Amino acid sequence: MSTHPTPPSGYDVGREQMLDFKVDQQLLEVVETDAKNFILTTVDEVFNWAKLSSVWPVTFGLACCAIEMMATSATRYDIDRFGAGAFRATPRQADLMIVSGTVTAKMATRLKLIYDQMPEPKWVIAMGSCAIGGGPYFKYGYHVVKGVDFMVPVDVYVPGCPPRPEVLLDGLMRLQDKIRGRKGRFIAPKWVTDYAKLIPYRK
Amino acid sequence: MANDPNVAKAAAPKRGWHDQDHVPGIKSELLELNMGPQHPATHGVLRLLLQTDGEIVYKVTPVLGYLHRCAEKIAEGVTYKQWVVYTDRFDYLAPMCCNHAYVTAVERLMGQQVPERAEHIRIAVSELSRIASHLIALATFGLDMGAWTPLLYCFREREEILNLLERISGGRMLYNYMIPGGVRYDVPNDNWVADVLDFVDLMEHNKLPEYNTLLTYNKIFIERTADVGVIDAKTALDYGCTGPVLRGSGVDFDCRRDDPYSLYHKFDWQVQVGRGEMGTVGDCWDRYIVRAREIEQSCRIIRQALQQLPDGPYQAIALKALVKVPAGAAYTRVESAKGELGHYLIADGGQTAFRNKVRSPSFCNLQVVEKVGVGQMVSDLVALVGSLDIVLGEIDR
Amino acid sequence: MEPNAIYELLAAHLGDGALAFTEHPLEPWADVAPGRVADACRFLRDDPRLDFNQLMCLSGLDWDGHDAAGKGKSVAILGYSDDGQPEKSDRVATGELGVAYHLYSHALKHKFTLRLRVPRDAATVPTVSGLWSTAAWHEREAWDLLGITFAGHPDPRRMLLEEDWVGHPLRKDYVMPDLWNGVPLQGQPYCANPFPVATGGPDQPAGDKPAEG
Repeated sequence: MSTHPTPPSGYDVGREQMLDFKVDQQLLEVVETDAKNFILTTVDEVFNWAKLSSVWPVTFGLACCAIEMMATSATRYDIDRFGAGAFRATPRQADLMIVSGTVTAKMATRLKLIYDQMPEPKWVIAMGSCAIGGGPYFKYGYHVVKGVDFMVPVDVYVPGCPPRPEVLLDGLMRLQDKIRGRKGRFIAPKWVTDYAKLIPYRK
Repeated sequence: MANDPNVAKAAAPKRGWHDQDHVPGIKSELLELNMGPQHPATHGVLRLLLQTDGEIVYKVTPVLGYLHRCAEKIAEGVTYKQWVVYTDRFDYLAPMCCNHAYVTAVERLMGQQVPERAEHIRIAVSELSRIASHLIALATFGLDMGAWTPLLYCFREREEILNLLERISGGRMLYNYMIPGGVRYDVPNDNWVADVLDFVDLMEHNKLPEYNTLLTYNKIFIERTADVGVIDAKTALDYGCTGPVLRGSGVDFDCRRDDPYSLYHKFDWQVQVGRGEMGTVGDCWDRYIVRAREIEQSCRIIRQALQQLPDGPYQAIALKALVKVPAGAAYTRVESAKGELGHYLIADGGQTAFRNKVRSPSFCNLQVVEKVGVGQMVSDLVALVGSLDIVLGEIDR
Repeated sequence: MEPNAIYELLAAHLGDGALAFTEHPLEPWADVAPGRVADACRFLRDDPRLDFNQLMCLSGLDWDGHDAAGKGKSVAILGYSDDGQPEKSDRVATGELGVAYHLYSHALKHKFTLRLRVPRDAATVPTVSGLWSTAAWHEREAWDLLGITFAGHPDPRRMLLEEDWVGHPLRKDYVMPDLWNGVPLQGQPYCANPFPVATGGPDQPAGDKPAEG
């Protein structure tokens, strides 16, 4: 879809990225004619756009990564730019759980409870190597769950120990791609995809 | 006379609303309330089991272990150098202080001398870490009191510190920077020292007055914190409180001065104690102001440490060398950002520790809630817990 | 006051309860009989010449497999294997358990270390939480992680783990759990060995070489 001409004047580039108009030929035509004051789309498209633009995370800080999550929501990185800055203190108002830190056995039951309390649709980001697979606590961690995906389904894995705020923002954008129902803009290099094929994934 | 019900009732101690028959025939009960483990005002995954009598806290029982990451078991399984990684994750707000505590303990058992340059670098980065931790303490304490804005200001300065530490260590938040016998990397030659000195000047002369205007002498903030959660000196010592909590109670004690380690005795700085300026000695405001003033003292220490930075080696043991610690046992304590961080390290002559008990300051500081929290309003309990500045990584370890 | 002078005062008070005093350049310590430790601590706290008003640290210890000669041949603890399953061993732990008390006096600026040893199958120590309130949590932690019972403790529950946890993890013979209360604790890594290392580097503990491919 790289044949898109220069945008018409007054056309918001940020909006273009948000709605990903380039991919949707139908919407593209509507915008290009720009004669009438209406827009054609599907209900799913609008709903997904609304969902992805206001992903409200639950305040679920567990460990070190929670501080980076706070930093992401604070001054410099400002997660509010992506519509995900409204951290809710109750799971009933939230639709994203950022599992930021080590999930221990004692916490895992509570984590499941909080996840079950969140209304559908809901998403989970596993932030940091502890939440992904136990991290540095794999070998002797008698109290550490070796990956939060043993407890709840995970949508996006954000690696790092702890991940930098930029990486968390990128993970959020990948989640937005997923909600949009389209393939993400990130295209992995060939050596990564080749290597990924060799990895026997967890059953 | 002895059987007179009025006399017996007057003699019995008045315990609270639930104990008295306000409406004959209706007996009220204590309300059990769970605060946490997922709660914005508990600074992590702490759970407080409250019994409340109306709005008054009747009993408070902290329930720990939601972040128990088995670090002491891991210490018996991994080598001395590898375990530095786990000390980062104790007090993840001031990882350099934790690194410093652990490598000091190991070096003491080894009898290892550390080059002077390494000690200067260690002190500078530890104090930078302490400033970052205290900034978070001020920010989240303001947040607990309903002031959202200071968080944004404090995180702004914290990002500057993280940038400086990233330039020297390579890590943004958790560093794994110190090793037994020195530090992992030398000071980078991209004007790092000058940049730190600039930042310290800015912090001391520009930013701290800003916080004072914004939060410290704010009328609402003082009303919320002065005379609230008073920990007297005797209670603080009995419960093993250390750090800003102990100093906020008026006890003039700081491991950096009274149990010297590293090179802190070389520098000119002062221990800050709470003086009860806004209320009673040992209230929440005193603990807050001790932290704010310690930022200033840390700036002084950093300035001296870096201005007098000597030349020479920065590692006494090569980075790739194997660290073996001769058999022995010693308790070594340093002043971390939260208080006295002690390691009771037992070595058996091999590559791994035989036992490493970590005495973490937050663990001991938190226990005082059981006593001081009783009789407070629930909202004041939030102020008390916020002023203790706990971090769950080192409470549960 | 020097530690040996403190020990002389303590030994005069305790009599046969004070077992031995070990000189060590870093940290000398006194061994006391387990039954007399509360008595010893009360004396150390209340005597005006000693005035130990702070308990810095209370550590539970497991001396199983400790090699006093210091050759580093202590028993290796059990963990999870590379594919995340608990390791098993036939070895039977026999060593004693112990407790160490580190005291500090704010007024007189001196330190002292008390140690005691109790048999593994009857590990009961009188509590000192009535003397220093901070001991209460340390003792609960020692019960939780090492299984040392503190007689007379006001709140003898586990500190960090849940009440229905099986075993005491910091004992040297502890076998890692694979399941607790429906929560899986064994792991299954994503891949057997994503970045194979040729040999154990200097940071690898001896005998813990990474598995092949």
